[in-house]
Amino acid sequence: MISLSGLTKEFPGGVRAIDSLDLEIADGEFFALLGPSGCGKTTLLRTIAGLETPTSGNIRIGAVDVTRLPPGRRDVAMVFQDYALFPHMDVTANIAYPLRIKKVPRAAREAKAAETASRLSLSELLGRRPGQLSGGQQQRVALARAIASHPTVFLFDEPLSNLDARLRLEARTFLKRLQRELAVTTVFVTHDQGEALALADRIAVMSAGRIMQVGTPSEVFQRPANTFVAAFIGSTPMNLLPGRAENGALHVAGAVLPLPPGVREGPIVYGLRPEYADLTQSPPLGRNDAFTGKVAVVENLGTAHLVTLESPSAEANHLLQVVVPEGEEPGLGTPAWVTPRPGRALLYRDDELLTSA
Amino acid sequence: MIRGDPVIRGDRGTRPPSTGRDYTRHALGTIGRATLLAVLPAFFALPLLWLASAPFDAHPSITTSVPEFTLANFRSLLENPYALSSLRNSLIQAGGSAAIVVVLAALAAYALSRVRVPGRDALLYVLLLLSSVVTGTAAMVPLFELATRLNLIDTHLGVILTLSGGLLPAAIFILKDFMDGTPTSYEESARVFGASPLQILGHIVIPLVRPGLATIAVWAVANVWGSFLQPFILLRDPGKAPGAVILYTLYTEGGAPRLDLISAFSLLYSLPVVVMYVFVSRRYGFRFHGGIKR
Ligand SMILES: Nc1ncnc2c1ncn2[C@@H]1O[C@H](COP(=O)(O)OP(=O)(O)OP(=O)(O)O)[C@@H](O)[C@H]1O
Ligand SMILES: [Mg+2]
Repeated sequence: MISLSGLTKEFPGGVRAIDSLDLEIADGEFFALLGPSGCGKTTLLRTIAGLETPTSGNIRIGAVDVTRLPPGRRDVAMVFQDYALFPHMDVTANIAYPLRIKKVPRAAREAKAAETASRLSLSELLGRRPGQLSGGQQQRVALARAIASHPTVFLFDEPLSNLDARLRLEARTFLKRLQRELAVTTVFVTHDQGEALALADRIAVMSAGRIMQVGTPSEVFQRPANTFVAAFIGSTPMNLLPGRAENGALHVAGAVLPLPPGVREGPIVYGLRPEYADLTQSPPLGRNDAFTGKVAVVENLGTAHLVTLESPSAEANHLLQVVVPEGEEPGLGTPAWVTPRPGRALLYRDDELLTSA
Repeated sequence: MIRGDPVIRGDRGTRPPSTGRDYTRHALGTIGRATLLAVLPAFFALPLLWLASAPFDAHPSITTSVPEFTLANFRSLLENPYALSSLRNSLIQAGGSAAIVVVLAALAAYALSRVRVPGRDALLYVLLLLSSVVTGTAAMVPLFELATRLNLIDTHLGVILTLSGGLLPAAIFILKDFMDGTPTSYEESARVFGASPLQILGHIVIPLVRPGLATIAVWAVANVWGSFLQPFILLRDPGKAPGAVILYTLYTEGGAPRLDLISAFSLLYSLPVVVMYVFVSRRYGFRFHGGIKR
């Protein structure tokens, strides 16, 4: 188990890269640190590894307080974003390096390197230098080196971001399977929400050195705790529309929607994922709980289209995005109506989740 | 008529020079440049030619001529008691200084490159500035005084330490540049696996900056090899004097240079440095920037 309490890292010059952060990561868990660029993910990972000294707070791995221990005594292995394979050593020597430090005899460590390499289908490449490997192969060598060191914790800093889109999907599946097999606690940094949702057992969404939400992928996707997480998670950004709870109904962008019980009157933010609404090209009969607007943009997503509606009324001049199945996309400039699916919208007040609607 | 015709003028302006006069000027320019480029190297080649021919000439003069072939010059050189031993002394002093310079400069440059020391750059520049003074003519009196007090007069060590002191700042400066160019993630990666600072230096940093170290070693050897003033002043015993100093003794009693000895000795004296350059350049290649070869 890794537990961080009150962890703060302030760089000279006053940048608070991590801001009194508390977090617990369970044994064997695949844990993702997700957040936009510059939010402190790498700094947090490096602090856990011991490459940065925290300004305050402490770090425990298992039962040991490692806050003041040097990196080499924390029993962690880190895969850097640029892989940091030693350019002057061949693949065998790179994979065997952690064992060389542990003074394992040459024959034993080379055998171990060969075994680890074959597990990651690297056997053909043992004699090559990192410069003679493709990005995907380098990534696997870096993983093999981490595995060979037999740590209690893996720390991965965006290990997939240097791969091209197709390879990234393959590597993602591979990584997930590998982690299941090894069952080693893994902390994984990424700024790609899709990657985090796909890989992680739990996700911590970070912003400006703080944790905005911790939860399983379905928790952070279905019930984002605040509008930051709501906007950050999801391959198409969630619609966040300002509205009011008034006279027992929700007034949002010209639509009047039923007010869920227990919501007090006042301003709210109405969150609706583009996937959770249906678009029609005529007004739904006998109802006024639909948004309306003119089709401004249609983007092809492959199996679906992302349609952006421009609201006509001046007082509610907001863009609304909806995902429409293949073959049902409306023409540009035509009027369209959007009906939210019941129970799928989220209501926020003071940037906190109230309930779903 | 042409003056009045803007179309033709505009057209000619964009075409490359192709009229007869432009063409001649272009050709003359090329010929002139080629001639200059041919003559300049000849200028530098003449002394080398002398070095290649005079040692084998029965009657060497300061002009280059087709030699009347003989090996007698080398024979009489061998009769000089100090000639060969001076080359050995040169080797000891150059090798010793190069070893000290490479080891100390590598350690200092690594530390300066990786640790944030306030005023680090200022320190380096001041050292660099002073280094030309430290072993230069200006400091010879205090250096002599210091060497006397430390009992280093007439020892190889005295010469080695003095010359190394002068070379170190520039060596640190150049090596620091090499080390700045190698990413820290290699070292951090090794640190996470538990490598100690000395292991990191030995396993990672030194192999990565090896071309830089080779450059510094060669540069130090060449510098010491050519140094005259410091060994001349610090050494009394001609049996310890390096080649550069012995070269200066190859005169007749009357003070006339013995060109037969000087030319033969010059050849022997320059060969080791040339061989070293070729060897190191083959093996490592000289590069002053970007120490990593991926
Ligand atoms: N050595 C440093 N000195 C000063 N400030 C730093 C240092 N390293 C990082 N920072 C600052 O700390 C903040 C967090 O940086 P960090 O590298 O952890 O971000 P990140 O979330 O990993 O971003 P990215 O996704 O771009 O890698 C940034 O504002 C950055 O400028
Ligand atoms: Mg980062």
